[in-house]
Amino acid sequence: MRILIVEDDLLMAQGLKQGLQQLGYTVDVAGSAEEAGVCVQGESFDIALIDLALPKADGLHFIRHLRASGSHLPALILTASDSMDDTVRGLDAGADDYMTKPYRLPEVAARIRALIRRSHALADACLRHDALALDTRTRTASLNGVALELTNREWAILEMLLMASPAVVSKDKLVQALAGWEKDITPNAIEVHVSRLRQKLAPGAIAIRTIRGIGYRIDAPQN
Amino acid sequence: MHRKTETPALSEPLSLRQRLIFALLTPLIAILALSSFFDYRLAQKTANQAHDQSLADTVFDLEGHIRRKNSSLPIDLTEEAEAMLRSSTPDMIYFAVINAAGVIVAGDADLPRQPLSKSEKIEFWDGKYRGKAVRIASHYLEAGAQVFQVLVMETTEKRKQASKRILAAMILPNLAVVLATLLAVVLGVRKGLLPLQKVEEDIAARSASDLHEIELAGTPAEIRPMLRRLNELFSLLRESVAIQQRFIADAAHQLRTPLAGLQTQLDLATVEGAFASNQQRHQLIDEATTRIGHLLTQLLAYARTETSSPGKVQFEPVALERLVENSASVFLDAALAKNIDLGFEILPAETSGLPWMIQEALSNLIDNAIRYTPTNGVITVRSGKFGKQAFIEVEDSGPGIPPEHLADVFKRFYRIPGSPGNGCGLGLAIVHEIAELHGAKVELSTPENGGLCVRLLFS
Repeated sequence: MRILIVEDDLLMAQGLKQGLQQLGYTVDVAGSAEEAGVCVQGESFDIALIDLALPKADGLHFIRHLRASGSHLPALILTASDSMDDTVRGLDAGADDYMTKPYRLPEVAARIRALIRRSHALADACLRHDALALDTRTRTASLNGVALELTNREWAILEMLLMASPAVVSKDKLVQALAGWEKDITPNAIEVHVSRLRQKLAPGAIAIRTIRGIGYRIDAPQN
Repeated sequence: MHRKTETPALSEPLSLRQRLIFALLTPLIAILALSSFFDYRLAQKTANQAHDQSLADTVFDLEGHIRRKNSSLPIDLTEEAEAMLRSSTPDMIYFAVINAAGVIVAGDADLPRQPLSKSEKIEFWDGKYRGKAVRIASHYLEAGAQVFQVLVMETTEKRKQASKRILAAMILPNLAVVLATLLAVVLGVRKGLLPLQKVEEDIAARSASDLHEIELAGTPAEIRPMLRRLNELFSLLRESVAIQQRFIADAAHQLRTPLAGLQTQLDLATVEGAFASNQQRHQLIDEATTRIGHLLTQLLAYARTETSSPGKVQFEPVALERLVENSASVFLDAALAKNIDLGFEILPAETSGLPWMIQEALSNLIDNAIRYTPTNGVITVRSGKFGKQAFIEVEDSGPGIPPEHLADVFKRFYRIPGSPGNGCGLGLAIVHEIAELHGAKVELSTPENGGLCVRLLFS
């Protein structure tokens, strides 16, 4: 896995580089948007970590440029500003996620894993979560490499939870999503489906957590 | 009042209303008084002329008698004629006919003599006779070969009565006009100054942080220059508040990057085994940097809520239940890390406000609850309505707030002495600030099973 860090602060960039290298990533650092532009033209990366405040052209400019040239390179914004406007502008420009400084290395690593996983899932239409894999083209699931039988409703619920993970999915959203199959599905029926899913996923140590009063979530994958 | 009587030098200057009323009433009353005076004079003159005319008639009557008697002197008037001549109740009429030699040939002998002019017209004077004011008419008469002066005097009783009647007839309406004018002036001034009162109310209703401009539309042109100056002052104040807040935000912002660098280096050093011999040291440094990070985040949040308040903010409809639902994903991991049961009771609650600010307030409440609730505790976040009032609340099973600290918890940087966790004392201050901006109330209460419940009750 190869990571591009676009950051002008040397302390920041070097720290991140070393930390990520220790986790086994290959890391390149670009000190400006222009330099980063040159990097992505010649080389192929799996993800870019982009600081918004850069000398001359800013991070948003680089992201827009990236998307305009047709690149789907996952972009994670690292920003010192946590104002709503900045994050919204960042996501609008085509960034996939953002993190606010100060952040800790393990958090950054978790986000990087999630983004790379998501981009690969998009690329090969396969949702992977630890031992679980959902192939959305063939609609087949496997757990620990063993085929997993899922009903339509279980599939729909699991797909929604995996796509959202590690965010919480409300019961209301699940009810709405399942209304296509069954007109009057009740929140109680959802509970029944979830409990069956839990039994089926137990061998893979994948837990569907109940969030009291809202819904469910699948924790972020271990690796 | 007391101050006024004791130190007249310090008495307050006249109010605008008093000035206007004085300035309008003084000339008005003067004009009314003058016009009353001249009206009275004119009316009296007209009345006098009428009375003079009837006095002249008496003169002519008398002369008629003299002509008929012609030269038979002395002239003797019959009693009837004399009674007729003298009857003019309630006045007394006196007369005298004086010949060329100056001898009274008829009438009252003691009538004062008057100078004679040989005019065709009857002449009139005011005079005194037998101690009474009289009106005197004198006429030059040629009867046959003789010339006479005919004098007729009338007491002024009728005239006085007429004067009184005229005066009464004029004073009452004039008084009414004065009173009506007084009322009109007082009401008019009050109405005229109403826009000033509105401006005053607008300014009085402001909170200390409300520095929006005064709406000029609808204000009188006279006070607009002053209002513009005020607005300029407001905008200067706004700017200086904004500059201060921006400085705080910039400082917090600028500190974040090196702090992130420091934390990364710390993480690296840990991985490389720098703290292998002293795990506790690593933990303390880690806690300190985490706390600085939290403080910077809160400082930025505080600066943002503060800078949002000076201008007039545009509220929009906010579904509080959505904000509560959103916070589940944000805080779940922090709660799980302390094995806290973070739950929700979500009912629809619509209000109006700034969504990101209410979210900020809610985040601070949940963050506080997670910080101060011990491991294995329970936190419940609720949204709903009490009648028409929407609310969000966060209830925890933590230590609660001792009553003696209740008054201080909304102060900036106030932390209850000896409280655990690495809070910075800005959380509730931010919540309070946001509540104030939304006209909402922050209510602290103790749930049945102990702990703390903080409710944001919107109006």
